[in-house]
Amino acid sequence: MTISPDDDDAAAEYALGTLDPGERAALAARRLREPELDQAIRAWEARLAPLAEAAPEIEPPRDLLPAIEARIRGGAGEAPANADFVGLRRSVALWRTTAIAASLLAAVLAIGIVGREMTRRSTPREYVAILQKDAASPAIEVTVDLDRQELTVRPVAARAPPGKAYELWIIDAKLGAPRSLGVIGEARRAASLAAYDPSVVENATYAVTVEPPGGSPSGKPSGPPVFVGKLIPVGR
Amino acid sequence: MTIRGGAPAERTPAGAGDDLNDLLRRVAARDAAAFAALYQRTSAKLYGVVARILTRGDAAADVLQETFVRIWERAGDFDPVKGSALAWMATIARNRALDEVRRVRPGSLDDQPEGFEPTADEVDPLAARERSEGLAALIGCLEKLDEEKRAVLMLAYYRGLSREALARRFGRPVATIKTWLHRSLGQLRDCLGS
Repeated sequence: MTISPDDDDAAAEYALGTLDPGERAALAARRLREPELDQAIRAWEARLAPLAEAAPEIEPPRDLLPAIEARIRGGAGEAPANADFVGLRRSVALWRTTAIAASLLAAVLAIGIVGREMTRRSTPREYVAILQKDAASPAIEVTVDLDRQELTVRPVAARAPPGKAYELWIIDAKLGAPRSLGVIGEARRAASLAAYDPSVVENATYAVTVEPPGGSPSGKPSGPPVFVGKLIPVGR
Repeated sequence: MTIRGGAPAERTPAGAGDDLNDLLRRVAARDAAAFAALYQRTSAKLYGVVARILTRGDAAADVLQETFVRIWERAGDFDPVKGSALAWMATIARNRALDEVRRVRPGSLDDQPEGFEPTADEVDPLAARERSEGLAALIGCLEKLDEEKRAVLMLAYYRGLSREALARRFGRPVATIKTWLHRSLGQLRDCLGS
């Protein structure tokens, strides 16, 4: 094994499950690009896995199997169930490559993925994402109205550090690099999404970085995201 | 081909290895009957893993569903040389449960609410009567840790407790818990010799 002792500790805690959400997401992103780290995580999973044998059985709810069978029957050719999580991990990996203060990542990156499976059957046209670090921390609320192609940002008590600004980004594999949706002000603010395909808007990851006032001078995120989330439909 | 497992009396314990390997192989070949049989054989075991981590019943049921969808999709990746079929499935289930419990949503709690620390029904692998070779080796190594540090590992593994929750429960700073985890896990790795 050639990974550092610190990385092996992180791999062990990943497998055990004790990393906090930000560290867990960061490691999940790194393992996609670092085969040795991925291998270390798998080795730890294998070491701990026999413990599961000792967990006493609990009868699951009765009607689950038909629901699962319906999903796998309808699932041929569809994306895997957790495609958007994988997508997010890839997005985070993409971020990492642009992140200057990588060491900050563990401290500040936290994932607040809201919702997981986009159901497109009933085509709800309004979506919301709550971007935050953890359940107790201030949040940023993003609302998207697909009909009006408009995005509204409302900082819910979340305030950028003094002399800095929060900038909102849309991230999707189809877009390549993260695209800025503008700097988040104190008040409610609407931005046009007319430039983006609705399927991208629906499935993208939304992230917030800390930038100089007025936004990133380079037009690219200059640090890792401090808030991340995805949209969930709000019914009609 | 018949679908096995109607009456509970016909159910074989989930530990019976070769059969599960065979079922997984057939599931990889898109055998729906084998999938149903695999579900009958292992769902209570896997639910026992996820429901201890996700104490909200609907979340645990969702994760169990996703786990089996994933088992259907990934059955071809299972390699019996690397471990038992049950261990492979339990790892998928546990990872999904951990992703869920470490995902933060509005109104959700990362850990158990205050005053709802798990007390009863803790899993003690040392008390397990049926032990596979892998479990026996792991237990041998766990026995070498002192009791409190072993308890930390077990609550993390079976209940998905975070460092913060463990710190509260054991009345120690989070940094201490982290140090304990690293040391205990390192000792396990050296003891297992892999």
